[in-house]
Amino acid sequence: MIAVLLMAFQLAVDEPLPNPRLEERAQSLMREIRCVVCENEPVSQSTADIAVDMRRAIRTQIGEGKSDDQVRHFFTDKYGQFVSFRPPTEGLGLLLWAFPFALLAGVAAFLGFRAFRSRHRELSPLADDGRNDVSG
Amino acid sequence: MIAELGHLLAFLALATAASQSVLGLTTGGEAVRRLAVATGMFTLLSMLTLVISFVTLDFSVALVARNSHSLKPIIYRIAGAWGNHEGSMLLWCLIMSGYGAAGALFMRGDRLRDRALGVQGLLTTASLVYLLIASSPFIRLDNPPLDGGGMNPLLQDPAVALHPPFLYTGYVGMSFVFSIAAAGLINGKIDREWAGRVRPWALTAWSALTIGITLGAIWAYYELGWGGWWFWDPVENASFMPWLVGAALVHSLILTEKRGSMAAWTVFLAVLAFCLSLLGTFLVRSGVMTSVHAFATDPERGIILLIGLALTGGMALALYAWRAPKLMAGPEFDPVSREGALILNNLFLSVGAALVLVGTVTPMFAQALNISLSIGEPYFQLTFAPMMAVLLLFMPLAQASTWRRTDLAPLLKRFWPAAVLAVVVAIGAVVISGKSAWVIPGVLVGVWVVAGVAMDLAKRVGPGGIGRVFRLPLTVWGMAIAHIGMGLFVIGATTEAAARTERTFPMHQGEQAEMAGWTFRFDGVSSAEGPNYLTTRADITVTHDGRTEVIHPEKRYYPVAGSGTTEAAIRKTPGGDVYVVLGDPIREEPGVWRIRIAHHPLIDWVFGGAGLIAIGGFMALAARLRRRAPATEQQPAIEPSASGEATAAAGAPA
Repeated sequence: MIAVLLMAFQLAVDEPLPNPRLEERAQSLMREIRCVVCENEPVSQSTADIAVDMRRAIRTQIGEGKSDDQVRHFFTDKYGQFVSFRPPTEGLGLLLWAFPFALLAGVAAFLGFRAFRSRHRELSPLADDGRNDVSG
Repeated sequence: MIAELGHLLAFLALATAASQSVLGLTTGGEAVRRLAVATGMFTLLSMLTLVISFVTLDFSVALVARNSHSLKPIIYRIAGAWGNHEGSMLLWCLIMSGYGAAGALFMRGDRLRDRALGVQGLLTTASLVYLLIASSPFIRLDNPPLDGGGMNPLLQDPAVALHPPFLYTGYVGMSFVFSIAAAGLINGKIDREWAGRVRPWALTAWSALTIGITLGAIWAYYELGWGGWWFWDPVENASFMPWLVGAALVHSLILTEKRGSMAAWTVFLAVLAFCLSLLGTFLVRSGVMTSVHAFATDPERGIILLIGLALTGGMALALYAWRAPKLMAGPEFDPVSREGALILNNLFLSVGAALVLVGTVTPMFAQALNISLSIGEPYFQLTFAPMMAVLLLFMPLAQASTWRRTDLAPLLKRFWPAAVLAVVVAIGAVVISGKSAWVIPGVLVGVWVVAGVAMDLAKRVGPGGIGRVFRLPLTVWGMAIAHIGMGLFVIGATTEAAARTERTFPMHQGEQAEMAGWTFRFDGVSSAEGPNYLTTRADITVTHDGRTEVIHPEKRYYPVAGSGTTEAAIRKTPGGDVYVVLGDPIREEPGVWRIRIAHHPLIDWVFGGAGLIAIGGFMALAARLRRRAPATEQQPAIEPSASGEATAAAGAPA
């Protein structure tokens, strides 16, 4: 425990985590946590002091072995859901995640159904002209 | 005098635009054509007077006083004319009436043209009324200041000086596509001929939009100082939605023009593209959202734009609802066919556009309802990106497919080398770079697309040798280049996203840092003066592969505007960019500066790929213009199933 605390102290400004796997996870979290004083910027991109602190907090917690979700919750508990560019995956947020795929699947199923019905019919010979002239 | 002249010219344009719309929608005829050209000329001259006011630094013009400055370099004085709300509205009117004038000059004279010019006149009239009432750029000041207020320094940049003209040529250009669609609906004739006449305009607008968006991304990449080129920011999304719908449109127009199919859907997309352009303008200009790109916002303008959007969209949809049910379906086709492939393309692109729309506006509604919510990069990366990846898997097959019916088995057999290559390169990319497995899907899809499209191209050329390369139709080249561009873009974008590395080093003089095989020695900072800014320049000695050079990332401060910019020092390498930013000094430790060093692999593939997409679009346009038949009233027959252009492959069974 003390060793962990000591390690956390030793982490200087933006000192990457020694383990590259952990550092990669930390960096990807930094890209989805929003800098709270900037306009629409993640903490990974901001040079604001608070962003530096937030980056450090992310690295410290990842270094302590917390999961990505635990780190996310740490920030959303503190600043609200607004701080995360990743919408929640529960409640209404789930709708947000599901709708594109549902829409795609729905329309694809509809088109597929129509195609299936016409599939077994022979294609009629080409006919043309006068098509779509509904002006009368 | 010059500003008054500009004001007068804008009023003249209003008068001709109003007459153009009345005549165009009623009697039609040669007068409409002349009026449309006159409207274009008057707005052009009006814009010129504004540019002259900016160049000559006429500070008695309120807009110049607010946005220009005597120390500003000449190119930014010119660009300053549209680098603000009022000026950009005039640019909007210019491009809108310019499309009208171009339509008058290049379209065959008939009812469709007259009515399209009429609708375009209506839109131009509305824009000019808004310009003259709510955002006139020609207002004079009683007491002109001695010097101007300067311009947002972030905008003082070559890419962003060109960004608005291209962007507007893109999404204001969708207005003319809209007008031809509305004209077709009024005429009750949405057929193959109609599609053929819309297509060049849709290609022009969409390709220009591609360039506009790319310029914006390049600018964000090097000017905002964090090396991001796309962040799914609401302003970026605002221009991306019309792009997606435009991409769907240029594909469905092919289907409607060649086969007479999907007419109702195509005309819907043509209407939708401009509605989304208006929505985007509303989102950007009304101040309903915050963004690093949102300049010139004002809630009151928002209301006017919202009313304009509701009126335009409402009327168009009413027109659509009235006519569309009467449009007939085209000839039958098998689901596995070129028709099917184009429909698949439209399915994915329009669902993608819906996704971006919902992802963009939901946080705004949430904010209004006091719900704490942000939607950003992670959301789009996990929804939009995989969806598009699936679409791209079909791209080479779609390109090689035949009209009416395609035999899938021989196609799949033909493309296996591309698939193998894609798998090998994707695995190799992970092994060599040692980076996350996230690059696999993107590289896989990208290589598959590039290799597949190249194979299809080779098949079309046939064994006849190099000479035959030049005999391929321009449309085929346009398609292949745009598709290859898409593949390169995907490879670049995924690699850059997954393998970019960035680190901030707190450095004091003489300290060294290392990254991506490069060594950086911080040699301190010095102050200097630019034409209209003060700058803090860092001297950083970089060493790589035995070579040494000194680079100078800067922090500029523009005293007139009271704000600053960061100028990244960027060095190109074959594998990507090394990107160095001078951050802030650390308060508690004097003499120590934050230096951000990043490596952006394959970043040029991102911009180059996007550029190729635009070039492909323009080539398809050129092919279209060259092929244009002498004015004939009758429609060409539907292309036979195995037309030379569409399919060099074996003919489909009819």
